[in-house]
Amino acid sequence: MKILKFATLTVMMLALSTFGFSKAAKPENLVRGIVGPVTSNVSWSGYSTFALIPGAGLIPVTSSTTVFYLGFTAGTQVDINNMVLYTTPRGSLTISAVTPIKLGGVSNPSIDLANPTVCPVVEISAFNPCIVRLDPTTITLSALSDYYLVVYFTASDGNDQSVGLTTPSFSQSSLRGSYQSGDDSRLSVGGTIPTNLGFSAQPYMLMYVMTD
Amino acid sequence: MKTLCKLATFILMMTVLAVSSFAQETEKAPAAALANLVEGQGIIASTSNPQWDGLSELVLIPGAALMGASSTTTSLYLGFTGGSEADIGNMVVYEVPRNGSTVIKVEKVTLGATQSPSINLTSPSVCPVQPVSATNPCIVRLDTVKLSLTPAYDFYFAIYFTLDTNNEKIAGLGQSGAQGALSGWFLYGDQTRIGVKGSIPTNEDSDQAPFFLAYVTNE
Repeated sequence: MKILKFATLTVMMLALSTFGFSKAAKPENLVRGIVGPVTSNVSWSGYSTFALIPGAGLIPVTSSTTVFYLGFTAGTQVDINNMVLYTTPRGSLTISAVTPIKLGGVSNPSIDLANPTVCPVVEISAFNPCIVRLDPTTITLSALSDYYLVVYFTASDGNDQSVGLTTPSFSQSSLRGSYQSGDDSRLSVGGTIPTNLGFSAQPYMLMYVMTD
Repeated sequence: MKTLCKLATFILMMTVLAVSSFAQETEKAPAAALANLVEGQGIIASTSNPQWDGLSELVLIPGAALMGASSTTTSLYLGFTGGSEADIGNMVVYEVPRNGSTVIKVEKVTLGATQSPSINLTSPSVCPVQPVSATNPCIVRLDTVKLSLTPAYDFYFAIYFTLDTNNEKIAGLGQSGAQGALSGWFLYGDQTRIGVKGSIPTNEDSDQAPFFLAYVTNE
C-alpha cells in the first residue's frame, strides 16, 4: 500500500515537473509597429482605411494567429461597418484571399471609447491614445504575401464624425497606410487593391501586429 | 503486490530518465548567440554633432520594433567618432508604456560598474583602431543590463555628458541615413534624473537617428 502511495506521488511530481517546463508564449511583434508619439486625425464617417503589412517586413517569428491593435485618439464611440484582411502576392495588388477581422466575434463592432474597461485612460487623446486589441485571427503571415487591413467606418454616422485615429509622427515603422472615401472592405478574391492609393505614409489607426 | 512493485519501479525509472534527459539538455544547450533586439544603425555618418558638454542624449528603443529575440539581458553599444575622452555624468534606461511618456521604471546603466565612467578614446585597449574617426569609429559596449525588453513597453536610453572641456570635442557616430528602429535627440542639462511617474521630455527633433547609441543586443 505504501508503494502505491509512493507511485502516485511520483506520477504527480512528474506531471507537475512537465507542466512547469511548458511556458505560455509571450506576445511578440510580427512586424515593426508604430514607433514614438502619435498625433490625431478626426472625422472618419464613410471612409475606408488601408494598412499595408508588407511580407518583406515580417520579423521571423512563427505564429498561427495574428492580432491587430487599433489606436484611437478622440470620440466616444466608433461604429465600424466592416473589417477585412486582404492577402495579395508580395508586391501585387491582386487579392488572393479575404479574411474577416473581428472584435467581440463580429466584423462590424461598435467600440465604446468612453468605457474605462475599453480605454483605461479617459478621456482619450493623442497623448493618451486608446489601443484596442482585435480578436486573434487564425492566419499565419507569410513573407511571400502582402496583407492589407481595411476598416470601413459607417457612412453618415455622427459618432464616426468625431472619431480620431492615431497618426504616426515617426517614420521607422514597417507598416504603411492610406485611405479613401467609400466602402473598400467588400472586395473579392481576384479583385484589386485600388491603384490610386499611395502607401508612402504610415497608416492611420493600425498600431501593432503581434502574435497575441 | 508484485504488479504494484513493478509499476513503481517502472515509474521511478521513467522519472530518472526524464530528469536525466532535461539535465543533459541543459548541459548541451549552446551558448546564446549574439542577436539584435531591435534594428540598430546601419551606416556611420557622424554629421552635425553639437558640443556635447552639458548635453544629454535620449534614445527611444521602441517596444513595437522588438524582433522577438528573447533575452533576460540587454547590451547597449555606444559609437564614438571623435575626441580623446568622454566624461559621462550618468546613464539610465527609462521604461514607459508603449507610445507613452510617463516613466514607470528606471534602470541604471553602467560601464565598468559605474554610471559615470570616463572613456579614454585614445587607448588602444578601448578603441583598437586609432585615431578614432568616422572611418574608424570606436564602439564601446556598456555593461550588460539585467533588463528584458518586451513589446508592451518603450524604453529610453538617456546619457548625460558632463560639462567639461573633454566633452566639447567628442563626436558620436549617429545621424546616419540608416537608423534602423532607433531615434534620438539631445537636450541641455542632465536628463538622466527623471523619477518614476515623471515624463520623458518632448522629442523636438522628431525621428532623427541617435548620435551615440548604435546597437541594442542581447549580450
